[in-house]
Amino acid sequence: MISQEFDFEAPSALPEALALLARHGDDATLLSGGMSLMPMTTLGLVQPGMIISLNHIAELDYVREDGNELRIGALTRHADVAADPLIGAHAALLAEAASLIGDVQVRNRGTIGGSIAHADPAANYLPAMLALGARLRLQSEAGERSVEAKDFVKGIMTTAIETGEMLTEIAIPKLAAGTGCSYQRLVRVEGNFAIVIAAAITEPGRKAARVGLGNVAPGPVLVDVSGHLGNGLDDAALAAIGDAAFDAAAEAASDLAGDANYRREMARVFARRAVQSATDAADAG
Amino acid sequence: MMMAQFTVNLNVNGDDCSVSVEPQTTLLGVLRDQLGYNGVKAGCEEGDCGACAVLIDGKPVTSCLVLTASAEDKKITTIEGLADGWQLHPIQQAFVDNHGMQCGYCTPGAIIAAKGLLDENPKPSEGEVRQALSGNLCRCGSYGKMVKSVLAAAG
Repeated sequence: MISQEFDFEAPSALPEALALLARHGDDATLLSGGMSLMPMTTLGLVQPGMIISLNHIAELDYVREDGNELRIGALTRHADVAADPLIGAHAALLAEAASLIGDVQVRNRGTIGGSIAHADPAANYLPAMLALGARLRLQSEAGERSVEAKDFVKGIMTTAIETGEMLTEIAIPKLAAGTGCSYQRLVRVEGNFAIVIAAAITEPGRKAARVGLGNVAPGPVLVDVSGHLGNGLDDAALAAIGDAAFDAAAEAASDLAGDANYRREMARVFARRAVQSATDAADAG
Repeated sequence: MMMAQFTVNLNVNGDDCSVSVEPQTTLLGVLRDQLGYNGVKAGCEEGDCGACAVLIDGKPVTSCLVLTASAEDKKITTIEGLADGWQLHPIQQAFVDNHGMQCGYCTPGAIIAAKGLLDENPKPSEGEVRQALSGNLCRCGSYGKMVKSVLAAAG
């Protein structure tokens, strides 16, 4: 039972939602799947004055191609991201990230926009967003802007979204055919948040490689490991990739799942694994 | 503070109904307290345990995390909606035949999760069954027999 009281609106069109957001400002909280907002409200961790449900704005639920990009509506549910044929063909790393979120019930209700906007340091999408070079479309009643995924997270659960703005779309450059992807997570119990995430991409012909790390800093961290691929992935190259991940995880925090140094060591291990696996996939074409 | 009441139209187990709720009323609360579907269980009420799972438009969802006011026009199926009169649904019968429970508290949610799986994937592997039930906690620890029940229902 939720013991808090709040006002509630359920607009059925985006302009209506943006107008409500403009009128109510910081007093309003957007609800999509509610997989984080509802427990936080139940537990009293947030006290929304008004909840604006986006669940009936059908125009925010889509996956489509636009030239060299995929465009994904913020209300697209995780299960749909995981199963979408366009995402599977052109951004398989993202499908993998979605398929590993929570459990079936969470994936059926939770949304990509909600997860990204919530910006939990341990959540699945953001490390993949960095590796994929995603752009996030923020709309308000006054206009819109686009923010690179790497500039989106400002701190723990703090993002570039300003008062009155809403994340409405995620744009992802299509991966070239033959790109290798690998999404690796350290997780103790099925359905839990990951302790460390490494999401890697190796471009065809080993032209470039990068790995997005999750839960090793307040926000996701991107590590470019292109320089280590030249002579094959021998032990020295993998060690260098691991060192780069360890260094990138300098801001790792401690919690019950592991202390900061353990996280940094696991960033080393999982980054190596992810880059190795992505590179093997790229080599196999 | 007196909050606004919302009238919400739902279809529960095939019956159209209209409920009057406050903004903070969860779907779990409405199903149990207003509509009398007490087969939907309240467990953690934080979305972890899966005891409150129902099908929304055919897909398993934790009803404790859904605000009723955000569920307008949704088609809801609870455990009560599975049997045909006194004839148990094959998944329910398989849970009986295979003793897929001990205390039974998590059973409705687990059967709903199994229904969601088998509707999409009628012949799942054991691994797929385990994945599909991973959001349903059983504090008696009957997982093995739950998995066996679902595999038996799949035939």
